[in-house]
Amino acid sequence: MALARIENLSFSYPEAATAALREVSLELERGEVVLLLGRSGSGKSTLLRALSGLVPHFHGGRFSGSVVVSGRDTREVLPAALAGDVATLFQDPEDQIIFDSVANEVAFGPENLGASAEQALGRAREALAAVGAEHLLGRATRELSGGELQRVCLAAALALEPDLLLLDEPTSQLDPEGAEAFLALIERLARERGTAVVLSEQRPAHPLAICDRVLFLRDGQLVLDAPRQQALDRLEREEPGFLQALEPARERTGAGEVVCTIKAVTYAYRPGEPVLEDVTLEIRRGEVVGLAGRNGCGKTTLAKLACGLLDIQDGEVELHGCAGYLSQNPGRYVVCERAEEEVALGIGGDLERAHDWLRELGLGGCERRHPRDLSSGERERLGLAAVLAIEPDLLVLDEPTRGVDPDRKRELAELLRAHASERATLLVTHDTGFAAAVCDRVLTLPGAWELSHA
Amino acid sequence: MRPLPSLALLSACVVTALVASHPLSLATLAAALLVLVLRASWRRARLYLLGIVVSSLSLFLIWPLTAHVGSHPLWNGPIVPVIGSIDVTYEELSAGAMQALRLAIVALAFAVWALRLDHDRLVREVRLARRSVLTVALATRLIPTLERDAVGFIEALRGRGVPVRGLRGRARLLAPLVASSLERGLTLAESMEARGYGRRGRPPRSHLGFSWRERLSLAFSLLLTISSLLWL
Repeated sequence: MALARIENLSFSYPEAATAALREVSLELERGEVVLLLGRSGSGKSTLLRALSGLVPHFHGGRFSGSVVVSGRDTREVLPAALAGDVATLFQDPEDQIIFDSVANEVAFGPENLGASAEQALGRAREALAAVGAEHLLGRATRELSGGELQRVCLAAALALEPDLLLLDEPTSQLDPEGAEAFLALIERLARERGTAVVLSEQRPAHPLAICDRVLFLRDGQLVLDAPRQQALDRLEREEPGFLQALEPARERTGAGEVVCTIKAVTYAYRPGEPVLEDVTLEIRRGEVVGLAGRNGCGKTTLAKLACGLLDIQDGEVELHGCAGYLSQNPGRYVVCERAEEEVALGIGGDLERAHDWLRELGLGGCERRHPRDLSSGERERLGLAAVLAIEPDLLVLDEPTRGVDPDRKRELAELLRAHASERATLLVTHDTGFAAAVCDRVLTLPGAWELSHA
Repeated sequence: MRPLPSLALLSACVVTALVASHPLSLATLAAALLVLVLRASWRRARLYLLGIVVSSLSLFLIWPLTAHVGSHPLWNGPIVPVIGSIDVTYEELSAGAMQALRLAIVALAFAVWALRLDHDRLVREVRLARRSVLTVALATRLIPTLERDAVGFIEALRGRGVPVRGLRGRARLLAPLVASSLERGLTLAESMEARGYGRRGRPPRSHLGFSWRERLSLAFSLLLTISSLLWL
């Protein structure tokens, strides 16, 4: 008997004009790793929420068809009652943390299931050990890096000892090594414990190597449900963008005058614990320079120092011209009431130029919409429009491809290359494919600074 | 050690500090608590230590000026209206030192409580309302989260050439901060429900029995309280 069965599931969020899921049917077996692909807004997260019962119980909306998990119809049981059978890891670990201590955070689920404090702590310990994070047990959640938080959240999900594990873009904040280790762990869990795993991803290269089956959603419809090899063949024909790497930058733009010089910079958030030590870097107009490295190696710190968002502690930073910084969180670009005002904010309220930039970024028609009403992909482009509008001499982009689907990534790469000659660009990214497609050179922190030239 | 026996031990320390009168007992207690505070992260502990030193020293300095006891004057000061004579005697100094030591012990016990105890677990162990514990936990995280969001908004504004200055500049951030807080609240609620919060059925059972170390600690707390009342 299948662990989970979805039959003719259609779902629309309240007040939504179109359905998020349409006539979806599938079955999940124990121990299989299923990769869920699709563009932004195609219904991947909604499908995961339907499997955990959060759709429709938490979100409301119009629901038809049925979802049965471990023999229970999700229309008849609340998500909390399914918690022992299903566990979900959401996209942003920061937004899932309740407690200040890692032990309490991981023990929260088992306690809700009725475990005593000791039993819950024992399960928390085991779950942390399973994700290679036992050493974090006594730590405070506020002190952890994004990668560590991701592991703690996975441990919190595993502590529920679920039969079905749902992961919504779990590697979006991890460096390539971290992401690879994470996926290896997921594969091991499925093989050793028999846990069924459904994994939604925007960087499918690694997950495609470990999954048994691939699902592809397009506009809420399940257009592909096939074993891995068969799925790879069909994706190659029908959705090549999901398999092909972006083309590496062919032409280098001629490097012009120096826009930003960083000389022997050292920076520490805590005394005696420098994040950056003696870093030197020069960026010229026309260049796109990538910054890579493990989680917590100081990429964002260096980027913020380059554009003057952090005060220099030791060393020198010279900036010739103005700098624009795109934060990795698109939720930071929702200060105004309308998208046009948001973009015009940095250019003295010039709405005409704001409209031009919104059109350039494919947001024509969204001028009067509230930024919070835009989809996550649209919010990302709105943030980019707001930064590009000030026409900076140094453009700093911090993880601009986080959670971005391959098509949109390609568009962003083209946009950056097309305007590369107008400015110097510093790109912080974990996405090696994107860096290769966009950057003239990539610097890896820490260690030997200049590692490769694309 | 779990928080409940630790709390019992700290309470016994506070009772001893208030009741005991032998300086050596108080000094020993202060030293033991100081060691515990120093075992916490220095970054957090130093603020508590600074507060303890300043408040205890202030009490030690003010006490002789306001008290009027003793027959061994060390300094004869002027007569100040309301306070009276501000002579300093040996007895006043010694009493001031004792009071300062008592204050330091109470404050050190509080510092140990704040720095070393798991408060979420403590409230759970004493079996107070679980929903209230969660509310407290979430509220405790709200301030640092808002602070982090505010920094993010300011950076994003400065990153597109919009300076954030003064009260008016910061007031602009109020609405987006509240809105992002509400958005996060929804995600958090969703995550809590997915982890079984609000599940019907029996509440989490109480903990198992105390370990021998915890029993020893509880016994020592009792002994310390009785000793302080009778002999110290």
